Amino acid sequence: MQWNKEDISLFMGAKEYIDTLIVPLIPFDPSVEHGLKEQAFQSELLGLFMREIDKEFKGRVLLSPEYYYIEDNREQEIPRINSWCEKFQQQPFEHLFLFTFDVKWKRLDKDLTGELIWLPGRKNGSLQSSETISFVKEQTSQITEMIRSYW
Amino acid sequence: MSKKQVSRRQFLNYTLTGVGGFMAAGMLAPMVRFAIDPVLKPSASGEMHPVVEVSKITNTPQRFEWEVKQQDAWYESMVQKSAWVYVDKNDEIVALSPICTHLGCVVDWSSNEQYPDQFYCPCHGGRYTKDGVNVPGTPPTAPLPIYEHKVEEDMLYLGRAHDRGGGV
Repeated sequence: MQWNKEDISLFMGAKEYIDTLIVPLIPFDPSVEHGLKEQAFQSELLGLFMREIDKEFKGRVLLSPEYYYIEDNREQEIPRINSWCEKFQQQPFEHLFLFTFDVKWKRLDKDLTGELIWLPGRKNGSLQSSETISFVKEQTSQITEMIRSYW
Repeated sequence: MSKKQVSRRQFLNYTLTGVGGFMAAGMLAPMVRFAIDPVLKPSASGEMHPVVEVSKITNTPQRFEWEVKQQDAWYESMVQKSAWVYVDKNDEIVALSPICTHLGCVVDWSSNEQYPDQFYCPCHGGRYTKDGVNVPGTPPTAPLPIYEHKVEEDMLYLGRAHDRGGGV
């Protein structure tokens, strides 16, 4: 389910069935010009992944609003990300996943409340290209399998 | 050569009938147009999309995908649709919506080893028999919707999915 009125009202009526939350972690840094394009692309790409996962698991997974952060101080973000997770846990959610293309989170994995899932992304390309589409499809089928293994 | 005489009365009769006829036609034409309008419109469910060649459809349900244009208030987008398609015992093509009627996950054919001949929903274990009817005692309360279909030149076209309501 996505973060919109229609899905959330469905969520309110069927809370006992929705026990999994996904928070997309999206980095950006407007002060470094050369990275902007890549960051914007990756943010879009992660959005595509989220949409595909939502399609498969609409009835059990809620997509949280995206978590955007400035790239150079990940440590400082940890308490804030954890507070998001804790708030969501009060709903309650049993499974919390943090999805990101940013590999530097891996090192901080143990400090995070949610389960960090690093996805191998792409630096550049076109979201419409058949290459990207098949990449997303293939990855999605693996991600969904991974999520199922937690259930 | 005697000219045929037209009396004043006759002349008036002719002109009045003529003018009256035009007026009546002017009034009736839009009415008729309104009355038959629904017939002229392509039926609402009319849009059918080519999905797969008939020869590829088997007795085992397979998932096929296609795209349709969807327009909402803000933008037009391509939406992916998919269906489980198979040929049943009576050689009829059946196309089922893969969307679980419980909370909207995508169901899989025969993905659970315990129930090899059923559609299985990975989210909450909802199950449907091959004809798409929900298995009592599992979360869904309605059967999977069926797509309208037609076959033209060896191509399967699918239209809208229809709820079958009720269920078991």
